This record gives sequence, structure tokens and C-alpha cells, in this order.
Amino acid sequence: MTSEQPAVSLLGTSALLFEAPGHAMALQTQQRIWSLARVAATWPEVREAVPGMNNLMLSFARAPRAIDALRDRLCDAWEAVTPLPLEGRVVELPVVYGGDGGPHLADVVSHTGLSIDDIVEIHSAPIYPVYALGSHPGYCYLGGMNPRIATPRRKTPVLSIPGGAVSIGGAQTGVSASAGPSGWNTIGRTSMHFFDPASNPPALLQPGDALRFRVEKVIR
Amino acid sequence: MIEIMSASALATVQDLGRCDALRWGVGTAGAMDPLALAAGNILLGNDAGAAAIEVPVFPFQVRFTQDGVFALTGADCAARLDDAPLLPWWAGQARAGQVLSLGLPRGGAWAASRAYLCLAGGVDVPQVLGSRSTQLRGAFGGFEGRALRQGDVLRAAVSGSPAARPTGFGLVPPALALPLQRDGVPAMRVLPAAEYSHYTEASRAAFWAAEWKITAQSDRYGYRLAGPVLEARTTVEMRSHGIVPGVIQVPSGGQPIVQMRDAQPSGGYPKLGTVIEADLWRLGQAPIGSRVRFIETTWEQATAALDETDAWLAEARRLVELARHQRARS
Amino acid sequence: MRFDSIQQLSAWLADTDIAVLELSGPGVSLRLHQGDALGTIEAQGAAPPATPVRPQGLTVRAPSVGVFLAAHPLHSSPLASPGARLRAGEPIGLMQVGALLLPVHAPQDAIVRAVRAAPGTPVGFGTPLFELDPL
Repeated sequence: MTSEQPAVSLLGTSALLFEAPGHAMALQTQQRIWSLARVAATWPEVREAVPGMNNLMLSFARAPRAIDALRDRLCDAWEAVTPLPLEGRVVELPVVYGGDGGPHLADVVSHTGLSIDDIVEIHSAPIYPVYALGSHPGYCYLGGMNPRIATPRRKTPVLSIPGGAVSIGGAQTGVSASAGPSGWNTIGRTSMHFFDPASNPPALLQPGDALRFRVEKVIR
Repeated sequence: MIEIMSASALATVQDLGRCDALRWGVGTAGAMDPLALAAGNILLGNDAGAAAIEVPVFPFQVRFTQDGVFALTGADCAARLDDAPLLPWWAGQARAGQVLSLGLPRGGAWAASRAYLCLAGGVDVPQVLGSRSTQLRGAFGGFEGRALRQGDVLRAAVSGSPAARPTGFGLVPPALALPLQRDGVPAMRVLPAAEYSHYTEASRAAFWAAEWKITAQSDRYGYRLAGPVLEARTTVEMRSHGIVPGVIQVPSGGQPIVQMRDAQPSGGYPKLGTVIEADLWRLGQAPIGSRVRFIETTWEQATAALDETDAWLAEARRLVELARHQRARS
Repeated sequence: MRFDSIQQLSAWLADTDIAVLELSGPGVSLRLHQGDALGTIEAQGAAPPATPVRPQGLTVRAPSVGVFLAAHPLHSSPLASPGARLRAGEPIGLMQVGALLLPVHAPQDAIVRAVRAAPGTPVGFGTPLFELDPL
């Protein structure tokens, strides 16, 4: 795969994965992914079009015989789509950084060479657009994190971090919506209700909404 | 109309899975052996995707609080109704007060690890987001979003006299009808995934050649395998993307993890390959401590395998319906 | 089918998969094992008519066409071996029709005297499968 071309790959016979060129996670690219998802969701082979971070998974209703034709159709559609400028609401979350709720803040310090205060300031500065939902019910993948605080995913995932955990994984950040395992570096804790299976839609945030983190406290 | 008598059995209510909710971060959940679940439903004349109880830990006991029919498929666990031994993959009936006991799975012709208990019309729990499968992370779906506990009472969706529902016949398990092995070891077909070429040639060869051990850290979230250390030629920090059950990730320790039914529906670790959908039931039944092998396959072979399991289910349905019809008339 | 001699009967038996063949009638009882050399055949000559003979056996026949199985495909031990004590209604064999398995039940409490059909072979409706001694 060259960085100019999108990559299309198989996830068994269950789904197709489309990755926009390169390794960046640009908002405009994500807006094109949202467009592509809307187009692909209408195709008969596709059960669901699921955006990721500058990528799109198409789960199959039924594994199509003519998989190459579907690949071509997807790439053609990518060339044709324009960015879908979804804009929703901005939700502000109060965060306690560090302490028991941020057990891996020290790992971010040692990887980046930055101080706790710098990391907190850099992390809490942007408005983070919701690129996609995934990982677990209601979890929002956010764009716009400053690459200065990027820290690789952990070699050994932690068995359980609680809902509300604010974490950094690679060049991304996010907030857990419920307790569960995580390979990301947890730097703080907030509280927010992200998912209600009885609501329609059940997720309280969607692509186009945005989050910002307000520093409530820093425990060094 | 059944009461759970066993404590800490990790049993959950599952159907064929929750679709159409990936975009909200909700994975499919569903039976680890969907073929066994469907077969049990077929034996009772249910919809193939009706909810059932998946039993992963044995022994397991339930008491029938009312007369009812049931089917038991999956692992052969020397089941008994009161004292009477039951045949595996069979539809039977119980009277109020009778106790259904599942023992430890036997080896025998097929070593399996999960049993499925089906009831008339399916297990009656509410649908949440289109499915009755248990979503453990987030605690919804199935029976109150959790594993079953001692004292829980579950109802069949269809009540009424068992006399109206023919039983007393069974199915030959697909493990025997559709065997897949390499050198005596159960095997699953795999389609290479996007990062397959990131691995060294030696590691790729080792992946296909090795007998991978299912370690004790394996469960509905994922199967952690032990075997040769797989080395990547490049390490790339990946963007989070959608994944499906069957995806084989290789974290930096070099030991593969196969994502299973309760896995996160997205991730960012490199992917070597994906176990094909048609073979997920084989892996889902592989016991802890057993070994499996992987077979490289093509899109055409993988889709043909789906046709094969569909055909097996259709044939089972056709023959069972004949048997039920015949018994109803006599 | 007529057998003029025990040798002929023995030769016929060798061509089948039947393990044990037992015949009994007034004054005669004969038991042949598959592969028996003539010297080991147990045969009793005419017994005095006053001596009580073996009670009439019970034949269990195939309830349908299909492949007769002595054991469930997942198991190695047969459901009912010669000498086994059965309860009425108990499954003693299986009929396989494609993916479907149908039970063959003991019609009443009995002891298995013999398995009449070769396990793993196709049989027709009514083919004798078991000989039982009712209890």
C-alpha cells in the first residue's frame, strides 16, 4: 500500500475494511468517510457501514460472490464523495487528571518527556470532534489530539478500567463509556452517561458532535 | 419454567448475535457455536435464531418448574434428566420437578466445550437493539445483561403441553458431518488480513505450520494462543478501525489473540488474518488446553464454506420437520 | 433361504457382519459366532420334549429405513450389548437418515440376546435389529 492509495482489505468473509491513504486522522478525511458510509449503507451487500478513524468497515449482510467488483465500487465512490460537514453539539467534561484515576499518566510523561502540567494543558486545550463510535457501547473515537502527547498503546492491555476513564492510545484520545479491558494509557477520570439501550438512538453522542475536557483537578 | 440450580456457571442467554449496532460501539455477542444453537432450535421447530442458554462451565443443573420440551446440543456432557441418561444433540421433554444435569464434556469423537440448552419457542427475554444476546460490557440484553445465577427463572417463549411438540429424535453433529482437521488437529480456515505482509516470511510460515494451544486466558472476548513468537518486520501505530469476531491480532508480545464474540467491535492492533465466519463455531468449541491449526484459504473457498453450513442447516431443518410431522400424526 | 448343514450356515455367516447368530426351536438350539471354526460350534441335539424350552424371544425391528447404528456417533460404546438389561422405552439403537437420528426403543423390560443387524449398514423398514428376552 502506497500512502496515496486507499487500502481495501478483507475481515474474513464478514466485512471489508477501507482505509483512507496515509496515517493521519484529518477531520476533512473523516468527513469524506462519513459521506462514503452514507453511500455504502444503501448497497444491498452491506449490512452496516461503520466509520473508524479515517477508515470504514462494511459488514456484509451476505458475503458477496463478486468481492472484487465491490472493492472497485467502493474505491470509485471514495473518489466521488465530498466531505460531509456534520456539526452537532459540544459537550464539556470535567476531568480529574492523575492519581488513582490516571494510573498511566507517568507513562505518558516518560514517553513524551513532557511534564504533567504540560500534558494536562495540551490534552485539555482542543475541542475534539467525535469521528466515530466503536470499541464498546457509546464509546466515542475523537480526532484532534495534539501529537506531542501521543503515547503508544500498552504492550499488555489492562484487564479492566472503569467507565469515565480518559485515555491516550497512540495518537488518539477517548473516554471509556463502561468498565472493561483497555490497551490505552489512562491519564484521568470523568463522568458522563454515554449509552442507553432504551433510547433511540441508544448512543448519546454521534459523529459530528464534539467533546472538550475541563481541568477540574490535577493530582501529581 | 426452568430454574437455574448451579452457581457461578458463566452461562448466558445468547442468540445468533446483535447486528446493526456496530455504529454505536455495540459488538455482536451471540453464540460461540452458532451452528449448535441453530440445530437445537431446529430440533424444537423454533426459528433458528431463537435465544438459548450457552453453558461454558460444567457441571450445570436446571430444574423444570413446569412440563416442557427442550433440546441439548453442543458439547456432549453426559446429560441426564433425573437419573435417565440423555442422548446428545437430542430433543426431549421434561415434567415439572425434573432436574436436567449436564456433566463434564466427554472427549469422544468430538472434544467440545460449550453446550446449548434450547426451549420451546426460544428463551423468553426481551429483545434489546434487535437481539436477545447478552451484552456483558454495558450490561444489557439476554437475562438482565448478565450471566445466569442460582435461582434465576427463565421462561420458554411458547408454553403449553409438551404433547403438542414432538420430541424424541436428534441430529448428527456437524463436527462429524463437516470435519476439518490437519494431522489429527482441529483446523480453521483463515483469510489473510491487511497487516499479513508486515510479518516476516518465517513468522507467516510458522503461523500456518504450528499447532496453537488455547491458553487458559481464553474466553468469549478472545482466545489467547500459545505457540511460536510471530515477528513483524515493521511496527506501525494503527488507527482504530472496525473488526469482527475471528480477527487474529498480534500484540507486541508476538502471541496471537483471536477476537471472539464479546470482543470490542473495533481495535488498533495489527491483524494477521481472520478466521472465516463458517469456521468460527469450530474455534468457539475448542477446549482450553487443546490445540488448533490454521489453514490459509481463499475468498471462493471461504464463501463456499458458508454455503456448506447453510446447506447442513437446511437439510437438518427439512429432515427434522418430516420427523416432527410424522410424530404429530401418530 | 435353506441351510442343509451347519457348515453351510457357518459359511453364510462368515459373509456377513453379524457377530452372533442364535437359532432356537423345539428341541434344538444353535449358537454360531462369526469366524468360528467348525470345532467350536455349540450345538445341542434334540432335547426331550418335556424339558422347558427357551421362552419366545422378542424381535425389535427397524422403525424406518436408514442406517442402523448401535452407538451414538459421538460415542464408542453401543447403547445395548448382548446381556444388557433394558427398561421399557430405553433407546437401544439409532436409525440415521442423513443428518437425522431416530431412536429404536426397547418395547418392554428385557435382556438383549443378540444384535441382528450389522451396525453401520443400511436397513429397510421392518428389518430385525435386536433379539430380546422379555423380563
